[in-house]
Amino acid sequence: MSSIGIVLGFYALSGLTIGAGLLVFLSRNLLHSVIFVILAFIGMAGLFVTLSADFIAVSQILIYAGAISVLLVFAVMLTPYASRDNPNSLFAPAGILIGLGFAGLMGFVGMRVIWPQLTGSDLEAQSFTGTVRSIGSMLLGTYALPFELASVLLLAAFIGAIALVREDEA
Amino acid sequence: MTTASEPYVLNIGPQHPSTHGVFRLRVVMDGERIQDIDMVVGYLHRSMEKLAEERTYTQNIPFTDRTDYLAAMSNNLGYCLAVERLADVEVPERASYLRVIFAELQRLASHSMANGTFINDAGAWQTPLMYMFREREKILDLFEMTCGARLTTNYMRIGGVAFDPPPEFYPAIESLIDEMPTRIAEYTELLVDNEILIARARGIGVLTAAEAINGSITGPMLRASGVPWDLRKAEPYCAYDQFDFEIPVGHTGDCYDRFMVRLEEMRQSVRIIRQALDGLPSGPHKTEIPLALRPAPGEAYARVEGPRGELGFYVVSDGGPAPARFHIRAPSLINLSLLRQMAVGAALPDAIVTLGSTDIVVGEIDR
Amino acid sequence: MTAALDPIRAARVPLTGAKLVIGVIALVILAGIAGGVGFLVVSGALDGHWYDLRDLGIPIAHLRGWLDEQNKAQPAQLHDLLGDHWISYLTTALIGAIGILSFVGGVLLVLIWVERRLIGRIQVRRGPNRVGPYGLLQPVADAIKLIQKEVLIPNGADRFLFFLPPILVFIPGLLVWGPVPWAPNMNYLDLNVGVLYLIAISSLATIAIFIAGWSSNNHYALLGAMRTVAMMISYEIPLSMALVAVVLMTGSMQLSQIVQWQADHNVWLGALMPLALFTFFFSSTAELNRTPNDIAEAESEIVAGFRTEYFGMKFGLFYAVELGNAVAVGAFVTAFFLGGWSLFGLEQWIPPYLIFAVKVSSVYFVLVWLRGTLPRFRLDQLMAFAWKYLIPINLANTVLVAIEVTAFNHSSLPGVVSLGAIGVVNLVFTVWVARRWARFLGYRPETEHVLHPSLQTQVGGLRAAERLRASS
Repeated sequence: MSSIGIVLGFYALSGLTIGAGLLVFLSRNLLHSVIFVILAFIGMAGLFVTLSADFIAVSQILIYAGAISVLLVFAVMLTPYASRDNPNSLFAPAGILIGLGFAGLMGFVGMRVIWPQLTGSDLEAQSFTGTVRSIGSMLLGTYALPFELASVLLLAAFIGAIALVREDEA
Repeated sequence: MTTASEPYVLNIGPQHPSTHGVFRLRVVMDGERIQDIDMVVGYLHRSMEKLAEERTYTQNIPFTDRTDYLAAMSNNLGYCLAVERLADVEVPERASYLRVIFAELQRLASHSMANGTFINDAGAWQTPLMYMFREREKILDLFEMTCGARLTTNYMRIGGVAFDPPPEFYPAIESLIDEMPTRIAEYTELLVDNEILIARARGIGVLTAAEAINGSITGPMLRASGVPWDLRKAEPYCAYDQFDFEIPVGHTGDCYDRFMVRLEEMRQSVRIIRQALDGLPSGPHKTEIPLALRPAPGEAYARVEGPRGELGFYVVSDGGPAPARFHIRAPSLINLSLLRQMAVGAALPDAIVTLGSTDIVVGEIDR
Repeated sequence: MTAALDPIRAARVPLTGAKLVIGVIALVILAGIAGGVGFLVVSGALDGHWYDLRDLGIPIAHLRGWLDEQNKAQPAQLHDLLGDHWISYLTTALIGAIGILSFVGGVLLVLIWVERRLIGRIQVRRGPNRVGPYGLLQPVADAIKLIQKEVLIPNGADRFLFFLPPILVFIPGLLVWGPVPWAPNMNYLDLNVGVLYLIAISSLATIAIFIAGWSSNNHYALLGAMRTVAMMISYEIPLSMALVAVVLMTGSMQLSQIVQWQADHNVWLGALMPLALFTFFFSSTAELNRTPNDIAEAESEIVAGFRTEYFGMKFGLFYAVELGNAVAVGAFVTAFFLGGWSLFGLEQWIPPYLIFAVKVSSVYFVLVWLRGTLPRFRLDQLMAFAWKYLIPINLANTVLVAIEVTAFNHSSLPGVVSLGAIGVVNLVFTVWVARRWARFLGYRPETEHVLHPSLQTQVGGLRAAERLRASS
């Protein structure tokens, strides 16, 4: 990251994402948590933009903030007493411990692994115009088999959902 | 495995853009399907029938205006026929022809409103309503010219009509009748083959002929179900037997058939008015009756074919100047009683469209 | 009808001499301006200079160049920290943002007036004409009325969730105007995933509407919100598929490239792919909740759907954003299917953004026309149409367009011939597939019942009814 704009953007967006994530489990009302999850998704999309992944960023908004958020709201709505206060529960200490352990693990992995990256002048040297074409050619070329398998999996989920909610026609 | 859902009660309350007046429907719904309908009427009850027992027969005519306020002339006509039958009063022929003209003009106005609000319920943002209101405005102007009021006309009197139409009435009604067929053709072109209207109204709210007769349905609803019954042909009153007209009869009894029957009745009304105007005899427009008419004790029931159905008036006299008992057979109330049967199992939009096609007026239901 | 009884016809004003003279003078002035502009264009005096207002991007480009020169004169530390172009970038970004904001705001104000007067004229009445000349101050009156209303929150509603949706719905309404190409050089946010960005932003409105309905603590609102969400997510799929056909044909997701393709090949994508145009237009009316697809706010049934409990300016925001989105849909239909700012070479003479504005207004006019005339569909009919008709036919259309694009890129015929062939094939395909598919799904128009009632002169009861039914 060479320019001040990207640095500022990174800190602002990370702040937004982490703040929204914190508010998700700090709010008392389950539906408020869903709103903050949507905010966290949008923050993630911004982080993708700072990494020059334009297609992934917009897909993140389309899929997560557009569709999965609706799914989450429906799920919360069908939960009885979703708007009640979340009282302190017995599982809180165990949860905190597991959360801290998980965060430590991910931090260790994140800092120790050597991530390949393209920055600044290297980026411009490759005359990087956009990710859409490269993602497209990879999906239909190198990774064609996983792509097709993923679509079959989605079809199975689709059919399963319809079969589950069909009323039994006697 | 299905998700359990419990029914909830939706209150389509007295204030609602589409209940055609203050009328309340408590609908028990499961998702979008209706399981049960509970109709609560009485928000417009003004105890007309009781108040009528304190007033003379002529003073009761304005009450009848306000029962079915969209068809005031028909109400007046029915009541006057009942009292004339009770008191044995002769009506001059000019008065009969004038009564027919005004009753048919009222039918035109009422059917314009009924069809317009029906399409409004089906979703077109008042455009067909505004088109039909153009003609209704002209008809109401004609009423104002003759008797001074647009809606609550108070025009028929016991023994004839109140006023002779003024000289400027005749050219006005001539031009209206001349342009009416083109206007009805306009509505037909806009609405009859409209795919969306057919999708919304065909097969909705079906009432078979047997069900309709069982439920005492009358009027365009009965004719749409396939039963050829019209009081103007079955028991002609007021010179209707001298005119040449036909009654439209539908095929399936769904909302679309009711809409088409009303549209066709508008054409037939234009025919009747044309014939009545051409053959209008001269003479007195009413017979003189005493100020406080005291008919001999007895009872009489007279019925007319109002725009909504059979409008009946039952009057009982005990020899005094005021009626001893006065009852109105309101077609809207009786037509409404089958709404539950038609709407249970349908989706909410279909129920609203069916309610629109029954063409109720709450003033008549509650009196 | 006598004049006294026909108020509309009676109010026609005759053409006086003074009006004729003023009209002629105005025509002469306009002709002079047109002639002057024509001379300037032909003599090439305008091309590329900073005063070339035909394309507002050119003065902005000159401004940017001038600002970059000023930038070089800044102190060195600032230069290391912020880079070469920060002044020009900030300034042009601000100018563009203010431009879009004022445009959207102005359009919203004007649209309230336009929509009500247009619908009034369609309904044989005049529309608002009391407030100001021709009712032009009506939007101001509406805004003042809405702002001064009491702030009411329904009992049991969640305060935070109740105040959020008007804001959440306004944000996509503004963001969506970013990638719109006004002229060859006038693009505020020329993303190279522009098409995907549009679909993503318009899907953000769904969640806002759902929260609005749920937080109102009202059966009507919840019913309306459920209907809206079901309809909007169903119609996002045909919308995207129509745009996939466009992207396939033009080979790019960038809106400026799509319009440039149409300008280069001198063809409108709507003429080439009528099915995609129809699908996009119809799905947009469903996304916008406009008649014939406005079951979610069907006033005659559920009062106002998800907006029932919203008073004052919150309701005003919903209403205004719905109108603003209608114009945005007009802008997209124009950019994708009607050639955008191009008009077969006329964009040299007439400023391209004016051409664009005229096309957008005509699409908006068609939207208002549909709203004023047609009744509305029922929800399950709409769902059935989207899932059973639009999606399969558009899938087939995508395959067909892919084949056509490959053939077009490899063919050696002149462009006009191959494009004409593609257009004809698409049209035939649309009509034929639509009919075959409808018949396959059970649509049999010839077995529909007789529509008109029969005319009788004899009355009867149940037996007569049965006799009639047996004979028909």
